[in-house]
Amino acid sequence: MSLDLIAYAAFFLTMALTYAIMCLGLNVQWGQTGLFNVGIAAFVAIGAYVSALLTTPDAAGRVGGYDLPIAVGWIGGALVAGLAAWLVGALTIRLRSDYLAIATFGVAVTVQLCVLNLQPLTGGAFGIGFIPRPFGNLASDPLAFGLSNLALMAAVVLALYLALQHLAKSPWGRVLRAIREDETAAQALGKRPIRFRLQAFTIGGAIMGLAGAAQGHFIGFIAPDNYLPILTFQVWAMLIVGGSGNNRGAILGAVLVWGLWALSAAAVSAFVPPEQQARAASLQIVMIGVGLCLILLLRPRGILGASNALASLTGRRTRKFKE
Amino acid sequence: MNPQFLMDGLIAGAMIGLGAIGVTLTYSILRFANFAHGELLSWGAYLALALSGGLGLLSTTLSMPIGPFSFGWSLPLATILAIILTGLLALAVDAVLFGRLRSRGSAVIILVMASFGVSLALRSLLEFIFTSKPAYYTKALQIAVKIGGGLRATPDQLLSLGVALVAVVAIHLLMTRTDIGRSMRAVSENPALAGIAGVDVRRVIRVVWFIGAALACIAGIMTGLLVQIRPYLGHDLLLPLFAAAILGGIGSVPGAMIAGLIVGLSEAAAVQLVGAEWRAAVSFVILVAVLLLRPRGLFGRAA
Amino acid sequence: MTVPALQTLALAAGYEPDLPIVRGVDLSVAPGELLVLLGPNGAGKSTLVKAIAGVVPVHSGNVLLGTRDITHIAAHGKIGEGLAFVPQTENIFATLSIHENLQLAAAVLPRSRRGEKIASLYQRFPDLATKSSRPAGTLSGGQRQMLAVARALIIDPRVLILDEPSAGLSPKIVAEVFSMLKEINADGVTIILVEQNVKAALAIASRAVILVEGKIRHEGAASTLLGDPIIAKLYLGTSQPQEAQQP
Repeated sequence: MSLDLIAYAAFFLTMALTYAIMCLGLNVQWGQTGLFNVGIAAFVAIGAYVSALLTTPDAAGRVGGYDLPIAVGWIGGALVAGLAAWLVGALTIRLRSDYLAIATFGVAVTVQLCVLNLQPLTGGAFGIGFIPRPFGNLASDPLAFGLSNLALMAAVVLALYLALQHLAKSPWGRVLRAIREDETAAQALGKRPIRFRLQAFTIGGAIMGLAGAAQGHFIGFIAPDNYLPILTFQVWAMLIVGGSGNNRGAILGAVLVWGLWALSAAAVSAFVPPEQQARAASLQIVMIGVGLCLILLLRPRGILGASNALASLTGRRTRKFKE
Repeated sequence: MNPQFLMDGLIAGAMIGLGAIGVTLTYSILRFANFAHGELLSWGAYLALALSGGLGLLSTTLSMPIGPFSFGWSLPLATILAIILTGLLALAVDAVLFGRLRSRGSAVIILVMASFGVSLALRSLLEFIFTSKPAYYTKALQIAVKIGGGLRATPDQLLSLGVALVAVVAIHLLMTRTDIGRSMRAVSENPALAGIAGVDVRRVIRVVWFIGAALACIAGIMTGLLVQIRPYLGHDLLLPLFAAAILGGIGSVPGAMIAGLIVGLSEAAAVQLVGAEWRAAVSFVILVAVLLLRPRGLFGRAA
Repeated sequence: MTVPALQTLALAAGYEPDLPIVRGVDLSVAPGELLVLLGPNGAGKSTLVKAIAGVVPVHSGNVLLGTRDITHIAAHGKIGEGLAFVPQTENIFATLSIHENLQLAAAVLPRSRRGEKIASLYQRFPDLATKSSRPAGTLSGGQRQMLAVARALIIDPRVLILDEPSAGLSPKIVAEVFSMLKEINADGVTIILVEQNVKAALAIASRAVILVEGKIRHEGAASTLLGDPIIAKLYLGTSQPQEAQQP
């Protein structure tokens, strides 16, 4: 019994950590650079599908299936998602700030469409199965399998966390911060804000792709339904709760919100009659939406908040009237 | 290629155009991309559904089809009430959320993010109240009539086209010929100067919300009448709306309508040439092309 | 003693709540005066008039128009009280036609008076009348300034405030603008003028106030200030006493 519980806890935490990776990617884009991405699900999906194509065994009627090592899949997924982010960013970052948001929204719609309709490549609505799972040889022992996967994911998150912390303190991170605080001043110092923003957006997109790949391999199966807009909303909720701009907050927020989400979903399925479950689930989403607005209004620093990134954007800014 | 796609594209385009006018007005005057605009279409459609249902219960004669149309007087009456209620909904959201963020001097992107939260909440609330099962204003079937040139259209479709045309002309005259229209253009160019010139900017913002919501409501009801009513009705139209608003040039009413027709016709052509499953990607392609080639759109002024 | 046309009482104002740029200004402008506000860059001249016009937040103190306290009336409401403001830059709507610029401002008047008022302004500024249907963005710098002033005059203001109307204009055009201001003043409109162009401004002004670091440092008749070598040197950036000259 208690072993089952540990195995379940390991499964839950591993899933939460895959979201933490997405959240870290979003934090580079939003928390550190102020770039609004409404298409997180798209970049996660790209990472997951690319990695699946590279690593799955050859299957009849489907392109891909190169049977490559998992690590190659992860890297490939991150690279292609980063490339997609670079393309979107190169197109829109020089324009108004909300054109990027609209474009990422378009990417999300289009990637979802591609995943559904490019059947020979993606398996259509049925998705791709038989994705190799890390430590698959331990699958007969759920506890060892769960714990080793948890350890792997924790190591990935830790490595990413350290790398991002290092990056934030590096000259590159300082320039990024300077651009966010005062774009004109940074420009006067000879820094090209557009280039730095584009780099940050690309890195963030690649990290989301990595998260998608890692999650796909952990579950062993991917389908278009995993990458609906609700995924984007969840990751946003995680970052906002954790406090944007703060990498530790991003990880904590992911675990917390995923926990709340899983718990309330369990409660819905336990206490709500089956015919009303869809309704209860939509109420769950209403709450995320209202919560997002409330945090923007009342606690712009996030619930655990430590950073002032969001606060500086919501704060008093009357610059346009300045002399 | 069957020329009928022209008719389908025109009708879809008219609905997109109406919605896009709302997007372009709120965008140019409130200065942010409102991701919750699609939900105003959905709410308009469902409010009209609930109200016309209620009116139909009051008197069965109200639900008897009018002439060649599929619906009774309950729907036009409900439409008027729904327009007012959708407008009030937009004003309420502005009062509790956007207005507060504005007065605090929040960055544009915070308003965009808040609108994202609003769209999520409003859409899921509809799903909660009405469930995600498609609904219809009427069960009556309509037969498409020949209108020349080998094209066919149902009376409902022709009526919708007419309503869209009247609405566009009315908004265009409002913008160019009236005090409030002139004030709206002034606020869109320079809100601080508009205040100095005696324009009550807050009143203008309220009017813009109301007009945008009213047009969204009409577009939503038309979509509901000609296709079906779903909680995702507006969300699925959001990308076409943004694409049309940007293609037309932010702030341009005729631009939004013309661009809406372009988007609608391109979608219909894509359905013919590539397949219906790719319809939703058309707006994205148009959006990318505009951002790449002419970011200020067809009729927009340089940023 | 007559009631001042406009006065500020211990006015403090600035963009940020904790950073006043205007720091306790008591300014009094008599009816019919043409007052020029002078001072070094960053003295707060522009902020002072923007605070009076309601564009910059007032932290404390009051603004009285005649006997009425207008401190907390929004910018657009001050028009109705008879206070008109012409900002330094972006003071016309470039995408609206010249006629629409005037119609916009005339919207505060009763409908019956609008046409006649606009017609009388066209008479005064014939250059604007000939181009009335063109977008205002196509006007030259001097014509823009004319349009901005015409827009402000629509309400027949009791007090007209202008923020550096000579900025960016050629000397010839500056002379035109200033002679126009003098005419308007002669018609009985009280004018407050912020200027860097000291010589030209003092030539038409009746009185001058020198603002330094957000406070009034000196005030006096325009002619005395012009003749005071120390003031000329310290605040006006000229070492030679200037001779008043009529434009």
